[in-house]
Amino acid sequence: MHSTLVRAQTAFGFFTTVAFCVAALIALSGFVSPQTPSADIKLRNVQVVRGRPNYYSTKKEEYAHIKFDLDTDLSTLFTWNTKQVFLYITATYPSLKPSEPPSSAIIWDAILASPSAPWHQNQYEAPGTPDTRKSDPEAQKAIAAPGILHLQNQRPKYQITDYTGKVANRSDVVLELGWNVQPWVGALTWRGWSDWGVWKGLKGGRTERFGFPGVKERVKVQKEDLGTAKGGEGNRGKPA
Amino acid sequence: MLNLSSLQPRQLAAQILNFALVLSTAFMLWKGLSVATDSPSPIVVVLSGSMEPAFQRGDLLFLWNRGQDTQVGEVVVYNVRGKDIPIVHRVVRRFGGGTGPLRLLTKGDNNAADDTELYARGQSFLNRQEDVIGSVVGYIPFVGYVTILLSEYPWLKTVMLGLMGLTVVLQRE
Repeated sequence: MHSTLVRAQTAFGFFTTVAFCVAALIALSGFVSPQTPSADIKLRNVQVVRGRPNYYSTKKEEYAHIKFDLDTDLSTLFTWNTKQVFLYITATYPSLKPSEPPSSAIIWDAILASPSAPWHQNQYEAPGTPDTRKSDPEAQKAIAAPGILHLQNQRPKYQITDYTGKVANRSDVVLELGWNVQPWVGALTWRGWSDWGVWKGLKGGRTERFGFPGVKERVKVQKEDLGTAKGGEGNRGKPA
Repeated sequence: MLNLSSLQPRQLAAQILNFALVLSTAFMLWKGLSVATDSPSPIVVVLSGSMEPAFQRGDLLFLWNRGQDTQVGEVVVYNVRGKDIPIVHRVVRRFGGGTGPLRLLTKGDNNAADDTELYARGQSFLNRQEDVIGSVVGYIPFVGYVTILLSEYPWLKTVMLGLMGLTVVLQRE
């Protein structure tokens, strides 16, 4: 019986099968594309202050403010199936209790858009990014090779607090670069330190160990020194 | 032409059984996936735009809940205590762990502030074991949008179930 309904069902079934197979092939193609990420991250300055780290903080607590230099070459993370790379820097520091593993917190993040992604306000524009609306060949080159950053004395986006309320005088703090590759379809992947197939582990991307200093009095610190960088996040105020 | 009364009773019973088989197979697949991933809800649909541009409303996410040592930068799905709405946000801090509970702080990529205000009253961190139902490992865009339509227009559910039932019952080899 070849009614219209049966024909429509067959056509739709075939469409979904083909769409699924193509999507699966695209998702798998990323794993055979070599990756050779490298990065260099340096601590520039660290201060610990007592106060309200955010506008929505309810209590005063100690917080650390970390400035850093960052140079990255992550251009090999951008394949045809990459929508964006969520790049972040974590500060990892030992816990006060010996039984607990180290705590970590993101101090800065950036959404590096792939050239194939449509514009979005949250996407990061590195300092000196040329205006893409101009048909400048240099600008086109910068868009063609995303993932290359050179940041000097960068302010953090987030200050670090600890649930104990105390972060001063901790030792063995380390800054590490991390990322999450967001595909158009398929598996999400994260930064790896060791080689995995044709993907090389991240070269560099970790600072020397350093310590958080003692608490500085707020009045003695220039307010500008504690400023944070603002991202493009659309939802201000109450999170949704 | 297609008339229920024209069906033999035996044929009708077979068709109903067939329909029941389709439903139970789907249910078994879902529960099987749930056991394999150790998550009560291994596939979720993104309901809000708070993770844009990574995830949009209607995108389908696959979760994995084996491996409780969640790291900063992972995207987790959690339920706020007392509310049954799954929220997909990124882990921005982690404390504790080891012998005690691992505590996480999350934030949406599209939110300027972290989720402290979103949590239950008096709660300022998530408990990895109790609150989180999985970590996102896979992504398919848009195909979950139909479930958003179904929850926003409940009459569509009735229409869809009716159509499904009709096609299965009325299908003749």
